[in-house]
Amino acid sequence: MSIIKSKNLVHEYIRRDEEGNVESIQVALDHVNLNVEPGQFISILGHNGSGKSTFAKHINALLTPSEGTLYVDGMNTSDDEFTFAVRQTAGMVFQNPDNQIIASVVDEDVAFGPENIGVPTEEIVKRVDKSLKMVGMQKYKSHSPNKLSGGQKQRVAIAGVMAMEPKCIILDEPTAMLDPDGRKDVLQAVHTLNKEKGITVILITHYMEEVVDSDYVFVMEKGKVFMEGTPREIFKDVELLKEHSLDVPQVTLLAHELRKSGLPLPECILTREELVENILKLEKTQAASHTVSRAAGDKASEKASNNELILDHVSYKYSPGTAYEVTALDDVSLSIKEGEFIGVIGHTGSGKSTLVQHLNGLIKATEGHIYYRGQDIYDKDYDIKELRTQVGMVFQYPEHQLFETTVFKDVQFGPKNQGLDEKEQIKRAYEALGLVGLPEEFYLASPFELSGGQKRRAAIAGVIAMKPNVIILDEPTAGLDPKGRDDILGMIAEMHKKRGDTVILVSHSMEDVANYVDRIIVMDAGKPAFDGAPKEVFAHYKELEKMGLAAPQVTYVMNDLKAAGLDVRTDATTVDEAKEEILCYVK
Amino acid sequence: MVKGLRSIVILLIIAGLFNLFLTPGRTIISFWIFTVSDVGLKNAVLMTSRMVLLIIGTSVMTLTTTPNQLTDGMEKSLGFMKKFNVPVHEISMMMSIALRFIPILIEETDKIMKAQMARGADFESGGLIKKAKNMVPLLVPLFVSAFRRANDLSFAMEARCYNGGEGRTKMRPLQYSSLDQRAYICIAIYLIVFYSAKVIL
Repeated sequence: MSIIKSKNLVHEYIRRDEEGNVESIQVALDHVNLNVEPGQFISILGHNGSGKSTFAKHINALLTPSEGTLYVDGMNTSDDEFTFAVRQTAGMVFQNPDNQIIASVVDEDVAFGPENIGVPTEEIVKRVDKSLKMVGMQKYKSHSPNKLSGGQKQRVAIAGVMAMEPKCIILDEPTAMLDPDGRKDVLQAVHTLNKEKGITVILITHYMEEVVDSDYVFVMEKGKVFMEGTPREIFKDVELLKEHSLDVPQVTLLAHELRKSGLPLPECILTREELVENILKLEKTQAASHTVSRAAGDKASEKASNNELILDHVSYKYSPGTAYEVTALDDVSLSIKEGEFIGVIGHTGSGKSTLVQHLNGLIKATEGHIYYRGQDIYDKDYDIKELRTQVGMVFQYPEHQLFETTVFKDVQFGPKNQGLDEKEQIKRAYEALGLVGLPEEFYLASPFELSGGQKRRAAIAGVIAMKPNVIILDEPTAGLDPKGRDDILGMIAEMHKKRGDTVILVSHSMEDVANYVDRIIVMDAGKPAFDGAPKEVFAHYKELEKMGLAAPQVTYVMNDLKAAGLDVRTDATTVDEAKEEILCYVK
Repeated sequence: MVKGLRSIVILLIIAGLFNLFLTPGRTIISFWIFTVSDVGLKNAVLMTSRMVLLIIGTSVMTLTTTPNQLTDGMEKSLGFMKKFNVPVHEISMMMSIALRFIPILIEETDKIMKAQMARGADFESGGLIKKAKNMVPLLVPLFVSAFRRANDLSFAMEARCYNGGEGRTKMRPLQYSSLDQRAYICIAIYLIVFYSAKVIL
């Protein structure tokens, strides 16, 4: 018997005006038919607004169908009688790790579920221990959740669900707000639960790499299931996925591109090993004949431009002199040239955010000096407010800083603080909104009515409007789906091209950064570990891995090929480069 | 000495010295421009020991008791008020959630403040009205975020079968033990000694 069965499931969000008349109906789920067998690992893919989260909330009876029926372990979720039984059978983990932890101590939080369903005391203690062990968090039993990392918090949340002994666990984008390390830990925990305890897992995500290991995949769009099958069947149709702006794992994409160029590779390759094995099976062509065109690829990036920002032996300590002293930056010396496009990479806690906040004087270094265009910003008579208009900073989740009644007014906020007159404010707001590509019909809308990606654009415009010479973006793609991510990164690159300004992009995703920047600074333990062009930095992929970072998948493929005896250059960082390089050698 | 205590010690010394030298009364010792009176001496000792007790008391409580234990205790000790339709469980639940989210909201405030400062906002200068007006770019996003969190949290709680206080069990139920008995006895003795000392002295 299937554990989850939906029949023509429809859900409508109905918006009513003040008198209770229906203003608009938004169909979030449109006749969804779906079947999940016990013990399966299921993934549901789709971008934001595709209805996947709405569907997840139905399985947990947080929402009930407008039409159609949904059975969870044979129970109809529309029946109030079963509400709590359904929630016990199908536990749910949400996206934001902070907003689902109820208690101030880890074990008390895990106990929250069993307490609610009236499990006897001794049994709760046993269950809490067992669940924390399952996710590898027993060491943190009496810690405060505030002291944990995002990945650890998510594992606590999973333990909290497991303590209710469910048959099925639904994870709604559990890794969207995590760094690569945390993401790996959470996925591993989920896979262990599935394999060892036989728990049915429903993973909702927009990261394609996470889907590869699942038994069956549903792809949703506009409230409908538009593709379903095993991961292999789904990824076979790369063109269709791309058409729907869904991401494809780099390895699969590379294989697809190679096939298109005429290499006889099998359809749909999912893992690195498969790809390498298959390429090696192909005949090698006359190897040495292609060395000619190579050197041209490295365009000399030595533009004789001025130093915009110089950091001279900068150190920063949090709460210096107390028991909580933490060294966030350790004797950093860097220079940033005018017009550069720089990526700053590092895992959480590596000091990358602290570093960039120094650049516009939001944090003052405990030691060392910072020079902006030759002037020491710590000089007594240096105008730090002026610096902040020169060095613009877009924070992580910038949409959380929107506050005005209209988007336009919000964008005007910066120029207004600069003391510009009304006319100039309006001009700048127009320009900025144009640059970020926000459609004009939203200019007078409330910023809170926009979608996630649009909000982010509006917030970025708020910084651009101040016409800074340097723009720093701290994780500008965090929490966006692949389409939103590509859009925002494309927009940033476009803007850089148009304005010729200095852009500093902080990220923990190598793949995002490799495609756009000219220079990468890798931060580790408060120090720049590597600094150079993407190709130079990724050549250290083994060291990067030790720091909890990963080079782009294609870098691994190229290195694997080289290790297997194929004399390819290993410095390809994008799918296109890798394709060209491989095509030189095999046909 | 722990660094965090430094400011408190300074405060204690100042309070003690002020009381010691600046309280009028019968002079005990006097040197140079300082005079110590009997009332001053008594006040200084009382004031500093009061403050020390206050600090020790709150520290001991926060270091030994988790917020959940605290609210559990409150729920139990005020349980009799349920008879008068006071939602004791709900109130204590709200308190424990509030305690859990205070550090998160502080962090968030800091983040939004920095973000607005990067856009040239000024939270320091100006008169009272201007200052209050300048807080709008901070408060609006903070409220929006707090509501969003509340919404998320309510879903998360419901998903874990939360349904009010009825039929709930506890991982660590509060049980009256010999330790509690001793604590009560200590408090009783303390109160008696305290009041008799006050009457006698």
